[in-house]
Amino acid sequence: MRLDGMRTYDDSEVVDAVVIGTGAGGAPILASLASRGLRVVALEAGANFDASKYTSDETEAVAINWMEERLSDGENPTAFGQNNSGKGVGGSTLHWGAFTPRPDARDLKLKTDSGLGEDWPIDPDELTGYIEKVEKFVGVAGPAHYPWDPTRRYDLPPVARNASSDMMIRGCEAVGITATDGPAALVTRDWHQPEHGVRPACANCGSCHQGCRSGAKVSMDTTYLPLAVAKGAEIRADSMVHGIELDASGRVSAVVYTRNGIEHRQRTKALFLCAGGVETPRLLLHTGLANSSDQVGRNYMAHGATQVWGKFPTEMRSHRGYPSSIITEDTVRPADADFAGGYLIQSLGVVPLTLSTTLARGGGLWGRDMVDMMDSYRYMAGVGINAECLPHEDNRLTLTDELDDFGIPKARISFTAHDNEDAIEKHAIRTMTSIVEAAGATSTTVLARTAHTIGTARMGTSADSAVVDADGRSFDIPNLWIADNSVFPSAVIANPALAIMALALRTADRFVAAGA
Amino acid sequence: MSAARRTVQGVPHDDRPTLFCLHALGSSAREFDALRELLADDFDVVGIDLPGFGEASAATGTSVDEMVGHVVRKIRRHGSTRFVLVGHSMGGKIASLVAARTLDGSSGLFGLAGVVLLAGSPPSPEPMGDDARAQMLSWARAGISGDGHLATADARTFIDDNVGAPLSPENDDRALSDVLRSAAEAWLAWFERGSLEDRAAEVGILDVPALIVAGGSDGPLGEAGQREHNLPMYPRATLEVLAGAGHLLPLERPDELADLIRVFWRERVGSGPFVSPGFGRVIGSGRTSSQTRAILAGRALPDDPDYTPQVLDAAQFATLRLVAERVVPQGPAPFDIAGRVDAALARGVSDGWRNAALPPDQEAYRLGLDALDDFATLDDEAKDSRIQAIVDQQYAPRAGTLTAEQMTLWFEDCRVDLTRTWLAHPATMERIGFDGFANGGDVIRIQGFTELGADRREAWEPAMPGPSARDTGASTTETTDTGITDTGITDTEKETVR
Ligand SMILES: Cc1cc2nc3c(=O)[nH]c(=O)nc-3n(C[C@H](O)[C@H](O)[C@H](O)COP(=O)(O)OP(=O)(O)OC[C@H]3O[C@@H](n4cnc5c(N)ncnc54)[C@H](O)[C@@H]3O)c2cc1C
Ligand code: SF4
Repeated sequence: MRLDGMRTYDDSEVVDAVVIGTGAGGAPILASLASRGLRVVALEAGANFDASKYTSDETEAVAINWMEERLSDGENPTAFGQNNSGKGVGGSTLHWGAFTPRPDARDLKLKTDSGLGEDWPIDPDELTGYIEKVEKFVGVAGPAHYPWDPTRRYDLPPVARNASSDMMIRGCEAVGITATDGPAALVTRDWHQPEHGVRPACANCGSCHQGCRSGAKVSMDTTYLPLAVAKGAEIRADSMVHGIELDASGRVSAVVYTRNGIEHRQRTKALFLCAGGVETPRLLLHTGLANSSDQVGRNYMAHGATQVWGKFPTEMRSHRGYPSSIITEDTVRPADADFAGGYLIQSLGVVPLTLSTTLARGGGLWGRDMVDMMDSYRYMAGVGINAECLPHEDNRLTLTDELDDFGIPKARISFTAHDNEDAIEKHAIRTMTSIVEAAGATSTTVLARTAHTIGTARMGTSADSAVVDADGRSFDIPNLWIADNSVFPSAVIANPALAIMALALRTADRFVAAGA
Repeated sequence: MSAARRTVQGVPHDDRPTLFCLHALGSSAREFDALRELLADDFDVVGIDLPGFGEASAATGTSVDEMVGHVVRKIRRHGSTRFVLVGHSMGGKIASLVAARTLDGSSGLFGLAGVVLLAGSPPSPEPMGDDARAQMLSWARAGISGDGHLATADARTFIDDNVGAPLSPENDDRALSDVLRSAAEAWLAWFERGSLEDRAAEVGILDVPALIVAGGSDGPLGEAGQREHNLPMYPRATLEVLAGAGHLLPLERPDELADLIRVFWRERVGSGPFVSPGFGRVIGSGRTSSQTRAILAGRALPDDPDYTPQVLDAAQFATLRLVAERVVPQGPAPFDIAGRVDAALARGVSDGWRNAALPPDQEAYRLGLDALDDFATLDDEAKDSRIQAIVDQQYAPRAGTLTAEQMTLWFEDCRVDLTRTWLAHPATMERIGFDGFANGGDVIRIQGFTELGADRREAWEPAMPGPSARDTGASTTETTDTGITDTGITDTEKETVR
């Protein structure tokens, strides 16, 4: 994005706030605070990209991913990297899928309803208000009539359906499941984005996960960040934070970061930590801060994201078009559930390397089987879920004794799916297989995987069991705030980014209201 | 190799790779006539007259950039997507620039497989004696103030100065008449500007198979000149010196050149997979961004048959090659997947994570392959059973390598790396029917796709081989084995619920 001509601040100047990370959490905060005239600086570990220079080539598109090594452990070790998090001005929204269902109110009260998981210390209606604000500002496409929420309206008509979409609609109809065009954070007609310019209508190029070259897809560098810069925020790219300094009273006074090999120290009145579900707890554990609850790094959650692929007699070539245009919410609370929570199903298009990786890891394929499967790539289409994942203390991020280039210990993330996750997966595989078969698949393949990095600095009502309060403020350090995927007390089955942006706006409001 | 003609998407082509030949100053495409005949069975030899020479008018411009543009247009019009650039003397500088712009995606060409320089002028200023330059400049200036061509006596001197031994009368006549019909202004442009331009930084290092040939009795562009100026830009080049030959190699030594080019192709260029013309044309088209085209161009380059592993030792590397053969059985024209994986390991390419039970990637590869040091002794069936046992955590490696659990985890990474490397090659993309890289060129209004439904195909899309065609080596057919024509709609599509 364009950063020339932006206002800049000196390291020695005591700014009103430093925001670490410019993804779904950091960007809305930066824009919100700058719009109120506060002097804010974002420190972003990744580069500032020119979106037109992204490549659809899967191997090279990792330029926009967080590829520094993480160690995975447990029965269901998480595949990080491309599958998981972004790096750059815009964070993971550079390569996210932009699928934006809203959190279901029942998911925020999971514990009350089921006795399992956690409740959110936030009123669902209040969250919805912020979500509507986000949707209005960034532009979200969706159906005229949303079957599971009749009052909901989307400003933009739905994104074009591809062969996978038609397949899922056909299959759902045959098995009696309601499915329709899903909410997608992209513009389906030319859209004027304040302080950025025109974002052209989605061209159905299918490369959302490799970065949207046209700017049709919502990403922070085409929405909240241009607004932030126009309002006087500074974004410092290539700036990796590795230290946080406190003053005598125990408040954050400065942030230590390295840019182009040189160590800097930015002084600040407040700090917003928005480095994502892995880097936020890693930095906190590394600095030893805000962890009197011993909850930092605990309750790591990853959505069940199992897929069922079918082989069809027709060429599906599902690399064409927006990858996941169809949704059903019929499975949010299945009638025959033997588990707490539920899941969403979306249609799936896929590019070959990504598919083969899932086939190799989640499907155990190699050799002739793999080659044959990839030879039928263009006859394949699938559906996938985003499923509830309950928090467990022992699903946990800790530090190893291996150091990265900045001297920060690498993270080790241990994740094991428990009974509830397994039960959901079984149910979902049954449902998905029936859809894909009813749509005419001649054979099906189940591929296990997980997605998203959630819940490692949880929000709660008590300093004993949570890292931040309901406003996103640290219980231990009054001028430290966290706003990213790590504050989620429970996973919520809606894909996370919309709620992260909404929570970020809310945290900014709370910060200002607190006069902090 | 057959030279059978056939038509794909209405564009004539044949199966032979193309040699696009760029001639020397004062010459023309005719200097490659002998080579064309000698190589006809194996190559489509296409000489290109540069502006101001042969039949080509100087009107399209005689600067180096204009010559480069002229050549790019000619290649695009020809349509070959599997070619070698051959540059003689002045044509060498043009060839290096065309190669650079093809590998960086900007020329819009796709399919460069190698470069042959014959006493090539380097991208840097051409080494040339001051006297020689002054003499030739004076000939050109005299021509410009005269009838626009060089004087016969000067042409005579030029040829005599540039051969190691007298040419055959036929070749001599031809060379003389080429000098005489060339435009003096093109000479002037070369001596006053083109030959002096320093384009080395722009060309950079060209990691393409290359053959550099020098005449043993040539002047500044002989062996020493080639070593100093061209060789450093082509790390994968082999240098051949033709004893006693002067500067006009294609006229003086066509037989030896033909042999060298055949061997060069056979041993260094021709073995790997390649895309069909229809597919290559899409990569070259404005639907594919320059950046993506450059990536694909680099990946389509033939592997170095002498690749020495950087991370693995020779035994480990040999094992990895055998493992790769079982994990990705490639078909008739395999490429060096194992070599590319070793190179990626050496670059420290990470996929962002590793299983906590494993040592760092390089170490895990070394130990995992050490555990398989008997792999070569197994027959195919035993190799496959071994691999399946590893997948099932049933294989207990010997002490000092990995544990059974680690072996399973490492092999999961290994098969992902091998498979992704296979799929990243443009020829594999064609094989599996993936043209998603062509979803938008260097424009904000990227083209994307308009036909998204099952069995729908857009007019620009390349024909795709049906599954039955893929193992026969045929790279293009008009229909798929499901009987669907390119634009056909099947009954299933009509049933689709919208
Ligand atoms: C392939 C993929 C597809 C996805 N699809 C969807 C989808 O369809 N819908 C959906 O809702 N969500 C999706 N997501 C998830 C979504 O992108 C993330 O949940 C969301 O972006 C997380 O926001 P965040 O603010 O927590 O972190 P991020 O957006 O990841 O931002 C964190 C930023 O902090 C920076 N950072 C980290 N550490 C430091 C440090 N020490 N110093 C400075 N900067 C630092 C990082 O570089 C990064 O830019 C997808 C994710 C992936 C990987
Ligand atoms: S499909 Fe649409 S939103 Fe996605 S990358 Fe392409 S143009 Fe952007």
